Amino acid sequence: MPTITFSKKDFENLVGKKFSEKDLDQFLTYAKAELDGIAGDEITAGLDDTNQPALWSVEGLARLAKGVYGIDAGIPKIEVHKSKDQILVDKDMHKVRPFIACFNAKGKKLTDNFLKQIIQLQEKLAEGFGRHRKKLSIGIYPAHKIKFPVSYALVDEKVSFIPLEYKTEFTIAEILKEHPKGKEYAWILEPFDKYPVLRDAANQILSLAPIINSETTGKLEIGDDEIFFDCTGTDEHVVLLAANIFAQALYDRGFTLSSCEVVYPDKKVFTPDVKTHSIEVAQVDFENLVGVELSSAKIKECLRKMRCDYDSKTSKVTFPCFRADVMHKVDAIEEVAIGFGYSALEPASLTSYTAGYILPKEKVLRACRELMIGLDFQEIFSMLLSNKELLYKKMNVKDFGTIEIDTYLSETYSVVRTWLLPILLDMLSHNKHYDYPQKIFEQGLVTLKKDAAVIDEEHLAGLSAHPKADFTESKQIVDYLLSMLDVEYSMKEFDHDSFIPGRCVHVFCKGKVIGFIGELNPKVLENFGLLMPVCAFELNLNEVIKEKEA
Amino acid sequence: MDIDKLSKSLHPLERKVLPFISKHTTVDELVKETKLKDVEVMRALQWLENKEIISLVSEKVTRIILDSNGSKCRKEGFPERKVIDALKDKELTIKEIEKKTGLSNEEINVSIGALKSHASVDVKKEGNDLKLKLTEQGKKFFDKKLIEEVFLEKSFPIIVSDLKDLEKLAVDKLKKRKKIIKIETINIRKATLTDLGKELIKSKKLDIELFDAVTSDMLRKGSWKGKEFRRFDVAINVPKIYGGKKQWYRRFLDQTRDKLASLGFEEMKGPIVESDFWNMDALFMPQFHSARDIHDAFYISEPKYAELDESVVEKVKEVHETGGKTGSSGWKYDFDVKRTHQQLLRTQTTACSARKLASKNLKIPGKYFAIAPCFRRDVVDATHLNNFFQVEGFVIEENLTLKHLFGMLKMFAKEVAGCTEYRIMPGYFPFTEPSASLLVKHKEMGWIELGGAGIFRPELVVPLVGKNITVIAWGLGIDRLAMFKHDVHDIRTVFTHDLKYLREAKLL
Repeated sequence: MPTITFSKKDFENLVGKKFSEKDLDQFLTYAKAELDGIAGDEITAGLDDTNQPALWSVEGLARLAKGVYGIDAGIPKIEVHKSKDQILVDKDMHKVRPFIACFNAKGKKLTDNFLKQIIQLQEKLAEGFGRHRKKLSIGIYPAHKIKFPVSYALVDEKVSFIPLEYKTEFTIAEILKEHPKGKEYAWILEPFDKYPVLRDAANQILSLAPIINSETTGKLEIGDDEIFFDCTGTDEHVVLLAANIFAQALYDRGFTLSSCEVVYPDKKVFTPDVKTHSIEVAQVDFENLVGVELSSAKIKECLRKMRCDYDSKTSKVTFPCFRADVMHKVDAIEEVAIGFGYSALEPASLTSYTAGYILPKEKVLRACRELMIGLDFQEIFSMLLSNKELLYKKMNVKDFGTIEIDTYLSETYSVVRTWLLPILLDMLSHNKHYDYPQKIFEQGLVTLKKDAAVIDEEHLAGLSAHPKADFTESKQIVDYLLSMLDVEYSMKEFDHDSFIPGRCVHVFCKGKVIGFIGELNPKVLENFGLLMPVCAFELNLNEVIKEKEA
Repeated sequence: MDIDKLSKSLHPLERKVLPFISKHTTVDELVKETKLKDVEVMRALQWLENKEIISLVSEKVTRIILDSNGSKCRKEGFPERKVIDALKDKELTIKEIEKKTGLSNEEINVSIGALKSHASVDVKKEGNDLKLKLTEQGKKFFDKKLIEEVFLEKSFPIIVSDLKDLEKLAVDKLKKRKKIIKIETINIRKATLTDLGKELIKSKKLDIELFDAVTSDMLRKGSWKGKEFRRFDVAINVPKIYGGKKQWYRRFLDQTRDKLASLGFEEMKGPIVESDFWNMDALFMPQFHSARDIHDAFYISEPKYAELDESVVEKVKEVHETGGKTGSSGWKYDFDVKRTHQQLLRTQTTACSARKLASKNLKIPGKYFAIAPCFRRDVVDATHLNNFFQVEGFVIEENLTLKHLFGMLKMFAKEVAGCTEYRIMPGYFPFTEPSASLLVKHKEMGWIELGGAGIFRPELVVPLVGKNITVIAWGLGIDRLAMFKHDVHDIRTVFTHDLKYLREAKLL
């Protein structure tokens, strides 16, 4: 979720209306945004809608506000003059960073505040919408230093220029290795041996896309009144959209826009292409989804508020050039609902009768937990993530099929737990200073890898730690549990490496091993730093659940 | 205090000790008099003090106790006595005395020294040895005890300040000898009767026969009839116990499950290890979506790819790429079929909804919910967990509208959070359109976001259900309600292993 900051005064000037904090809060709901804070003149807002990047700027928010408050409704005005400035695209560019969109804007002097806003929008778009510049990156330049045509060329790593905020020339290879931005974004260009640059007719490098501008030709300063804009990337749709978002923002600020002609090896395109697009939605579709009667005049009014438009004759909803989040008529219907006002919609009750159920397995799980609680055991609820050191090494056993996380952040949480006993022993080791007896149990999921399959099992484990804890105690509990669950079972001696030999059994149900009971081996207790005998059991309840569901 | 009640509340030990307290004040004395054990006397005194019948004062006292050789003397006889007895009939050399008495050379020498000091023996040389003979003075001790002997026969410990002159002399002599007596200073608690205690004794109500406990035998014989039971001090603090109980957060999840079932929702399930397909692709989240970064989810090493119903995959692929027959333009990209099979730990409960929508036993109309563990690739701290529980679900029915969605949210506000004041605002979720967020005004917490809902996009519904029908999807963020109720400020407390906290966590 992008967060932006802007000046309240600037916002009010752009809208042409004063805003109280309450007004702002109210207005921001139309933008699916939240007011995060006001500090003096500085407003911070969080934008929820990741598909509407045009709203990630003060210009975009002001534009919507004008519609909401009826200051200027419908499709926002924009005008782009055709120019002969050309962008020549390298014939091999499709292999590296295929698309580019450019334009020039002039007629207003850059102020400190406006420059900050442009840079903020540039960063939010490239980071959030552009997948950390991979899909999309944006450059802005003082246009008076540039001689057209500009070529979007591929060059080798020996080409050099002075990167922004530096005094000496760096080769591209050096930039990628040493410059902070170079190091941050080098991964994008890593697969290639040629690098995309913008170079003007005087052979000056403007920038290395998507890394850094040139200090000589790529540094905007307060007072500049001509801007050259470029946007490069891997997705043509996204590149054109970003150019439109910027074009509209600059137009709103009073700049005069002129297009560039992008010359690809196989086609020529004028950018920005600020045409609107539309989608057909019948009146009844609006009514059916929103749930109220809507005249076509009302539909039109709602849509115009949201800076769209509606033609009742053709049933076409028109969206402005900076909106690219429209795929289906439901997208238009939501605009109407928001324009209509969520608070104006009367809630309707759900009337169909449906029976509610919890999962059938809960019957068994709850019975087990109830019985354990009746035996004075405290229930424990642990994280499902664990590590092999705890699950196996400390327990003196070998890995018996673990789901390991490829992209783990910390070794502590690098696998999904496969049994509960070690987790509960670990808990006891952290509570040695509290009163004994300590009787604890957990009922929960564990996940096992069995060949190519992944199996979730509902387990139940119970531990008693006190001076007289022994095998008999745990066996009594399991006997009691399984007979209360009315399950047929048997037990057989079994030497398990976590337990004292001769003091452990396997529990069988329908011929399958469903768990074990035993007295913890002092070697294991030592691994956990425990100074108290512990007896325990762990059961896989899946068999029991299956039997009871049948 | 009612004297009658007070007397009936005395424990048998108190009853035994109390009559002696007017004369005897220390534990040692009382042990001697009552023939009770040390601990019993001490407990009785403590209880009596609690009842304000006596007061206990600590005093420094110097006393004499027997040391190891002293105990030996008491058992086997005093060395001088043995020497006197040996010399009764004739004079003997030291060697002969040694042989006759079994005393060590050292003990004999010390004894001779002591006997000589009150002129009880004569010593003369005989060869290399010494010969001993009893004097008249010494013969008197045939039937008279030495003062040391008399002293050692007393019962120990003996308080130094109680010693008589002759005893003082004996102590002076004995303390020069090796390990016979030991003198120590200790704190002694002395009991004295309070006014209440004196009154109680004067009342003569101590003699009543009281039963201490109900026994099965007395019930069988009816022997309790006409008798009284000792009154307990019911105000006394008793030792803490810990019962078995549910973990507080799990209990909260149970209640939530039951609540949703009571509202007509049916629980859904799904596996912890999910495919990209059910977790995201089936939800019409494009594979290039920013929330789908590999760094936001826990992808697993093995098995890397899931087995899927390829006919459903095909339908979802089509809708991603072109919108299929849904009337959508689709996301217009090349859907990666291999990637959709990749396995990860489920990041959202919506995966369960997708599975249910595609399943053969989907009921229409139907209401569904799932409370399931989900995972995010986050660093665990006070506000983040990498493993948490989400509450989500959907309502499917012909002709549902946004107004029904609002109605459902209003119901959640009231039924789940107990709030009647609420706000519904436009919201954003990647797989619903339109979408709404629900804010409720909680009595104590003020305005909080309780959850969100939206109408599943047709691009999600059509490939899974096979037709376009309104499906209201919803999610509730109710952890903060539970955390507030339990005054929890660190989200890790949900999975705490602090036994003290769990034992003491309140239920209501």
